[in-house]
Amino acid sequence: MALKRNVGLKGIKYRGGGPMLAWALHRISGLAIVLFVGLHVISSFFMQQLGSDIATALNTVYESIYFQFIVIFIVLFHALNGLRVIILDLWPQLIKFQREATWLQWLIFIPTYGMTVTIMILNQLQGG
Amino acid sequence: MEVTLKIFRYNPESGKKPHYEKYTVEAEPTDRVLDLLEYIKGNFDGTLSFRRSCAHGICGSDAMRINGQNRLACKLLVKDLHGAQITVEPILGLRVIKDLIVDMEPFFENYRSVLPYLINDEPAPKKERLQSPEERERFDDTTKCILCACCTTSCPSFWVNEKYVGPAAIVTAHRFIFDSRDRGAAERLKILSGQFGVYRCHTIFNCTTACPREIEVTQAIGEVKKAIGTGSLE
Repeated sequence: MALKRNVGLKGIKYRGGGPMLAWALHRISGLAIVLFVGLHVISSFFMQQLGSDIATALNTVYESIYFQFIVIFIVLFHALNGLRVIILDLWPQLIKFQREATWLQWLIFIPTYGMTVTIMILNQLQGG
Repeated sequence: MEVTLKIFRYNPESGKKPHYEKYTVEAEPTDRVLDLLEYIKGNFDGTLSFRRSCAHGICGSDAMRINGQNRLACKLLVKDLHGAQITVEPILGLRVIKDLIVDMEPFFENYRSVLPYLINDEPAPKKERLQSPEERERFDDTTKCILCACCTTSCPSFWVNEKYVGPAAIVTAHRFIFDSRDRGAAERLKILSGQFGVYRCHTIFNCTTACPREIEVTQAIGEVKKAIGTGSLE
């Protein structure tokens, strides 16, 4: 009897290279954004309705600078990668330049993220 | 040079679970992976099963996962793998029948679903249905498909759901949709705009990387998506 169809973890091990990694990161970052927004909604609910310690604890987590570093990374990556895929989907004749499009994506991402993080650190140091 | 092949083995008649077996063989850098598999089958274990036919990258029989990537065993040289160990596994997303042989029926069912033949009920001209070089060029890339399934079985959307028609079927549809002699484009585009059609493609590019014929698969899918979206074949 033939083996059942079962991809599972074998799919993760498939060596698709950079484009597959970008796709996986896009999915992961999408889930992370849902988690972050969910946390924000729950925290606001607790703060408004109960004014409880739970809200304060949640606020402490997502307002911490380290958490914000991660959030900005995730949102910026998700936005730029999504934009790249949308552009390639709308103008398929550009698909042959997808490698260049990925480079351009990182070329925009690195200075934008670097600048944002620098400003955040400077604000933090100034006690802002 | 000495090369160790780690091969996925499964024999439904033995009652054993799927496992890997290692074989060490002497190989030339210019040997193909298929040559090594043939050598192992001939000298170590005659029960090793895999598909092969032309052995020249035309028939598309010997698609397999080599070092984690879909390739044709007959087109891949040992020197291009840059290592003394080669892992050979069946392609993903299809049921394994024995060793490296998978059940291709779901793949061909998807292929048949896009009407992979010329549709034209108009009376045939006396000589032939003429086509300009430019009109022929429009779908030249997608005529190169050999139905090896390297693209479809490298696609995460197909791994999730085998009902997704998959890159190979869309490439074939593209070949006819953009053929000036064909009149079945509207019918095919309707099929491909359905639940298991082109919109399951998330522009991951695994198919383009895996294609042994170097077809721009993602671009072909993109052109079909655009044709559905705009209703135009321009």
